[in-house]
Amino acid sequence: MDLSSFESNNSVSCRLASQIPDVCRTEDCCLGIDEAGRGPVLGPMVYGICFCPVSKKEELKNSKVADSKTLTEDERENLFEKLDEAKSYVGWALQILSPNTISTSMLQRTKYNLNALSHDTAIGLVQYALDSGVQLTEVFVDTVGPAEKYEEKLSKLFPGIQVTVRPKADSLFPIVSAASICAKVARDRVVKGWSFAEDLGEVDTDYGSGYPNDPKTKAWLLKYLDPVFGYPQFVRFSWSTAQTLMDSKGVTVHWDDDDEDREKAAQRLNKKSMLSYFGASSGSKAQNPTHETHRFFTERRLKNLNTL
Amino acid sequence: MSCNTSVTRVQLPPAVDQVPRVPVHLMPCEIEHDGPAQVSQYLTATTKDCKQEKTVSFRGRGLKGQELSCPQGYTGLVLKEINKPGSDQEDRTVKLTSTFDKLTYWNLETPTNSDDTVVMAMDWPELAEAIHGPVED
Repeated sequence: MDLSSFESNNSVSCRLASQIPDVCRTEDCCLGIDEAGRGPVLGPMVYGICFCPVSKKEELKNSKVADSKTLTEDERENLFEKLDEAKSYVGWALQILSPNTISTSMLQRTKYNLNALSHDTAIGLVQYALDSGVQLTEVFVDTVGPAEKYEEKLSKLFPGIQVTVRPKADSLFPIVSAASICAKVARDRVVKGWSFAEDLGEVDTDYGSGYPNDPKTKAWLLKYLDPVFGYPQFVRFSWSTAQTLMDSKGVTVHWDDDDEDREKAAQRLNKKSMLSYFGASSGSKAQNPTHETHRFFTERRLKNLNTL
Repeated sequence: MSCNTSVTRVQLPPAVDQVPRVPVHLMPCEIEHDGPAQVSQYLTATTKDCKQEKTVSFRGRGLKGQELSCPQGYTGLVLKEINKPGSDQEDRTVKLTSTFDKLTYWNLETPTNSDDTVVMAMDWPELAEAIHGPVED
């Protein structure tokens, strides 16, 4: 697994893939999808697919690829080696969603939530396998959300393919646990070798699991909080853990699309809200009309400067 | 109505071109902070330059930016208040701390465009010169 293309720019999303085994282009294949790192406040979320001919399912099962969550990091690395040894009939592909991609998507003007992002990523990977000529007949998906709706959505998108969406699919179908191993190995390696684009000098890498409830992760988040910038891009800004810390220990930042009360926003900017004109005492502007500024200036937000 | 008699003094060093030129960023948000910030460590270090467009994230939000020059013949000044008056009767003194001849302005998610407010604002000096300048022949 060569992570260099992601590591050269870890602020964007990146796809990595194995060679497509020849046999997967000629025989009916099954494909499993799983994700790694959905919950953590640190590091990327990785989506993985793994595929092999339906006829090789038993062989894969015998290689004992169990649910990656029940395995240690070393065991997962070993199993990934085994998958690599089986590359004549097993292929994989990964989509690494950088923490910056997650933050900027979830905090976008038109919000793009994690579920939608996850679904689109999974769909993109299945499409990649199809575009690469893999003869897909069965797709197995692990999900955290409602399985039936997701299954229906995928079946509609990929007619002719038998789609099975199940919670904990990684412990039910070996091809899903193989996908889970690929995703988890990539996530572990990326987190371990994270290179900070920010100029922070030596960064303490003792950040724990990255889950918000891990004391080590919490301590790290406290240590690396910058009052103005918040965090390096390694942190998911859209996680409430990060937002709560920035709210309490950082400086406040206002955006024009904040869910702030209009009245409050106007007060803050020392402007009149529309509502104030309906009050009993009308504003001074109404009593003392000054000449109106030309559109040329208001459009450019240019103001006469009397005092600095 | 009382007349405001206070005066604002701008302290200029003997040679303005000896004052350090600094990078300036115009952000699409209001930051409730007035003081030093680790701009080069966070913002500059993570800015990606792709063709004419720059991209960066601030507080987890995607920004798109562009460099913009000050109008010809103009220099941007960064002024710092050195003693804040207790009342509006007292004089204010501000000091020139640095200058800039270009700035980077950032939009929230929207690609930069010639219709952006700050780009259009730079039209004014030329227009002002045309309408207020001396008439020749």
